[in-house]
Amino acid sequence: MNSSLTLAPAPPSEAAEEVRAQVREFLAAELAAGTFTTHVDTWLSGVDPAFSRKLGERGWLGMTWPKEYGGHERSAMERYAVTEELLAAGAPVAAHWIADRQSGPNLLRYGTEAQRRAILPRIAAGECFFVIGMSEPDSGSDLASIRTRARRDDGGDWVVNGAKVWTSNAHHAHYAIVLVRSGPPGEGPRGKHQGLTQLLVDLSLPGVTVNPIRILDGGHHFNEVVFDDVVVPGDMLLGEEGAGWHQVTAELAFERSGPERFLSTYPLLAEFARRAADSGDAAQLATLGRVSARLLALRQLSLRIAAALDRGELPDIPAALVKDVGTTFEADLVDEVRRVVEVPVSLDSPDPLGRALAEAQLHAPGYTLRGGTNEILRGIVARGLGLR
Amino acid sequence: MSDQDLVVETVRDILAGHEPFVLTPERPWDAGLWATLAEAGLTGVGLPEEAGGSGGELADAVAVVRTLAAGAAAVPVAEQLLVAGPALVAHGLELPPVEEPLTVAVADMVTAAPSDDGDGPGRFTLGGAATDLAWAGVARHVAVLARGPEAVDGSVLALVDASALEATSAANLAGEPRGSLVLDQVPATGALLTDAQAGEVKARYALARAVQLAAACEQVLAWTVAYAGEREQFGRPLGRFQAIQMELAEMAGEVTAVSALVDAAVQTLERGEDAVLAAAAAKVRAGAAVEVVARLAHQVHGAIGFTQEHRLHHLTRRLWSWRDEAGSELTWSRVLGAGLLADGADDLWPALTRVV
Repeated sequence: MNSSLTLAPAPPSEAAEEVRAQVREFLAAELAAGTFTTHVDTWLSGVDPAFSRKLGERGWLGMTWPKEYGGHERSAMERYAVTEELLAAGAPVAAHWIADRQSGPNLLRYGTEAQRRAILPRIAAGECFFVIGMSEPDSGSDLASIRTRARRDDGGDWVVNGAKVWTSNAHHAHYAIVLVRSGPPGEGPRGKHQGLTQLLVDLSLPGVTVNPIRILDGGHHFNEVVFDDVVVPGDMLLGEEGAGWHQVTAELAFERSGPERFLSTYPLLAEFARRAADSGDAAQLATLGRVSARLLALRQLSLRIAAALDRGELPDIPAALVKDVGTTFEADLVDEVRRVVEVPVSLDSPDPLGRALAEAQLHAPGYTLRGGTNEILRGIVARGLGLR
Repeated sequence: MSDQDLVVETVRDILAGHEPFVLTPERPWDAGLWATLAEAGLTGVGLPEEAGGSGGELADAVAVVRTLAAGAAAVPVAEQLLVAGPALVAHGLELPPVEEPLTVAVADMVTAAPSDDGDGPGRFTLGGAATDLAWAGVARHVAVLARGPEAVDGSVLALVDASALEATSAANLAGEPRGSLVLDQVPATGALLTDAQAGEVKARYALARAVQLAAACEQVLAWTVAYAGEREQFGRPLGRFQAIQMELAEMAGEVTAVSALVDAAVQTLERGEDAVLAAAAAKVRAGAAVEVVARLAHQVHGAIGFTQEHRLHHLTRRLWSWRDEAGSELTWSRVLGAGLLADGADDLWPALTRVV
């Protein structure tokens, strides 16, 4: 089997099972206390800063980071167990999700000492939230074509102009890591990868405007963030000037590799399982088994990525593959369930299965788009197969 | 080099001298390959030496089966090394000489009645037909999982010498023998199995087919990627076309998912844990991948892949057969679905995280 696609099996981790049990107990207590209710796709839609702080207090954010930056020096396998349990419970994790998943690791890798000390402990405490500043109105899959520009003024500060879109929960976040064009592109087909830079932008700065973009169910998660002569202090450069493309590629490996790429609709499956158990219907049980087998395979692939992260690898090609297969599964779940259950599908349904189906369906177009479309991902997999 | 790498290399060396061929009723298996494998001790891998096997771990046996499946080898290794052999050993029955092909029959239509034929305890008389029997007419010995005597819950695992029995001629989509064996009051030594133990044998059989499916899927992907790199149309290799790249990437996603779950299920069995749901999941996932993998492999290969001249059919026809054997996706998805709900409908997630 092609080695760039395949990772070694994940060794069993007792530490991961231990923390998994703790998270499970915590979530059961929170559910019983009514501090949250289960929903589909809560890593996009479930913003609850108080819940994020509780996770921070328990040491479940910034888990793998060094202790000197507020982290807990635990393994990627342990972090995997925590994130997986939170997703399975449909817990409100959206506020901190991006910061914990990719912005923090990006800062850890490329940030200055001052940036790390100022920001990472606050992320780990569940008090500082980030958005991704990559896509623009005219730049989706063709990310290197972005037009948001930054130029240095005489004092060495950056002046930023442009707009970023699909910035999830920018109206709750403190910072954006913004990919800007800071210099001219180079020659050749990959020339436009040159002259790109990442800036750490405080969203409370003058000249930053956050405009809501509503998704299909009316929910306000996405935004357009407009930068109008925003002066970003010179020391908020992230990493190297001109190295933005390289840094963004590394960030995407974190963005694409987690269990949220196949568990966004898990609460629908959990609800369906209750229906199948009640009915004992053979077709429903078979569907439950069939989709569970798909989920179990994805889980193994995702665990392998966590184990690879623990080995210090950044498995971008396997991550692209898992995200392609995983998001296809998340979306398929709606019709798998619909084929064997008759239930009115509505956000207002008194039947929790009808509500879960409605939420999953109205969020479905996003699964195979966000974080890189499946077409882009398959292109990456094709590269892994040696075809391009 | 690990033990498994060494085993794989040995099997590959042997396979290099045995190209797959179109199986017919006259030539239903590769007897020459079997003899070479037996001579090298490879027909006893993973079976304990004290029972007459070659020793080694389950992982070694899986490596042998994987490599031979990828080579479309027409020999009953999966049945012998992963199912019938281990089941006989586990239940204290005699393992036939490993040079003689052994298969397994999950035979709900065969009843085992206890008999007192003077040969001591554990003697049974088998009656009924073992249908859809892998390697019927080829295997010298059959480990028959039969219905137990009335008044006793459970099954009987009995070892039958098939050399004197007549098998009907029938084949799966790949031409592999899948005939029936009529057992007309055949005396045999056997052991009583609980339902759970019988379930384990069936699950092992499913896992064995899943291992074969995974290996064949991997090989079909490799062949298809290689073909797309060689075959040129419109002045460039097929693999340069985005439409073809999308198809190959989709195949790769399926194949990688199957292999990861099958590997994990094998490891669950290796650790000695209850592997029934793991095997069920592996068989369901592997079987479900066949539609995509075989369809796209043929699509990319074009018309030449639709002929017996080209090697592709040796594996795609096996894929289409193996997904239905030892329990189809339907059979095992019901087992998995019901099994996941065994602790209650609210505990699906804990159940899922325990499977593999």
